[in-house]
Amino acid sequence: MRPTVRTALALGLLAAAGGVAAAADIERALPFVSDDYGKALAEARAQKLPLFIEAWAPW
Amino acid sequence: MRAFVFTDSALTSRAGQFVWLELNVDDERNAAHRERLSLEALPTFYVVNPADESVVMRRVDGMTVAEMGSFLDEARTAATGTTPSSPVEAALARADRLNGEGKKADAAAAYREALERAPGGWPPYGRAVGALLFLQQSLGENRACLALAREALPRVLGSPTSVMVARTGLDCAVELKKDEAGRAAAIQEMEAATRKTLAPPGVGAAADDVSSSYLSLIDARKDAGDSAGATKDAEAWAAFLEAQAGAARTPEQRAVFDSHRLSAYLELKQPERAIPMLQESEKDLPDDYNPPARLAVAYLEMKKADEALAASNRALPKVAGPRRVRVLQTRSDIFAAKGDSAASREALEQALACAESLPPGQRSEGQIKALRKKLEGPPAEPKG
Repeated sequence: MRPTVRTALALGLLAAAGGVAAAADIERALPFVSDDYGKALAEARAQKLPLFIEAWAPW
Repeated sequence: MRAFVFTDSALTSRAGQFVWLELNVDDERNAAHRERLSLEALPTFYVVNPADESVVMRRVDGMTVAEMGSFLDEARTAATGTTPSSPVEAALARADRLNGEGKKADAAAAYREALERAPGGWPPYGRAVGALLFLQQSLGENRACLALAREALPRVLGSPTSVMVARTGLDCAVELKKDEAGRAAAIQEMEAATRKTLAPPGVGAAADDVSSSYLSLIDARKDAGDSAGATKDAEAWAAFLEAQAGAARTPEQRAVFDSHRLSAYLELKQPERAIPMLQESEKDLPDDYNPPARLAVAYLEMKKADEALAASNRALPKVAGPRRVRVLQTRSDIFAAKGDSAASREALEQALACAESLPPGQRSEGQIKALRKKLEGPPAEPKG
């Protein structure tokens, strides 16, 4: 779930509910590296591939 | 996105096209990256050139699987640094680069140039419009945002993009100054457009996109002083979310709708409707702080302070970072509702200490200021 752009500008000030949800620990179709920018960057450089980043939060 | 798009097997073939990184921006380890990436909203997706770590493309907001596929195709091309084949592609590439560098005004001008050069049926049109609308909102350019929505709507009619364009146009119309000429007519026009995008059979937009539109409609009704209309839209919002949650295939997918559902129920002043779903989510996702944190909010609204405190007690050990501040703020309100002003103040002091301890990138000066102001004021009174 995501906020409207307007509410997103405040990074999740969605009423008292605490913003939009993003479920953790889900089965992913892609081999994501979790929370290790250095490792992912090194892999991207080694493989000469662009680095895709999903910025999210568990709320 | 996380529970729906990135779990879709249609993306599996993309695995070798990028190195994939998920960054929990609430994690202290990622605070510096959050700051460097100029994060303003969630979710945001970036494609980075690993050679110099420049952001070659950025997209704010969720996408359907098909939209994600298009974004990835464009990103691969952009990442190769290939010379753009036309002036419109050059303008878009420049806009994406400036947007990646956080140069909002320059990026907005470049997107504007790209859109002015865009031929009919130009594939990146919807993405470029979305990027420019976001920048305009971020820059407070509500009239330009409204004009762009009006301009773009006929071109994106019937597509998933139309949901975002109409809603953003509505948001920008509502944000115009109250005495600005044409404001009421603009709201009426954009509200009608937004309702049209939600009408059956729908346009295939992501559920969260549709959900956000209901929120905008409710805001518009409230702005018009039409509380009955706002309630009617909130009912429709809740029904939509309940149907989506009912169709979820996993607890994670179902729980994705919890936050908006709680907001809809709070809007309807029916917080009790949230209790069963949140109890189910707490049972299914025992490590997640969200269900008990939301239960605390719902019980507090129901004036069941003891149940709210018990839920807060369960949430607190599981939450860190910026979200812990909010959980502590709710906790302060719970103690106030119980008439325990000393414990209420203590929780607020803990919230302030937590907020002040956050690293740059996660730290919010506005939040710290608000907490200090609240602490300087009189003790909170029990609600109701």
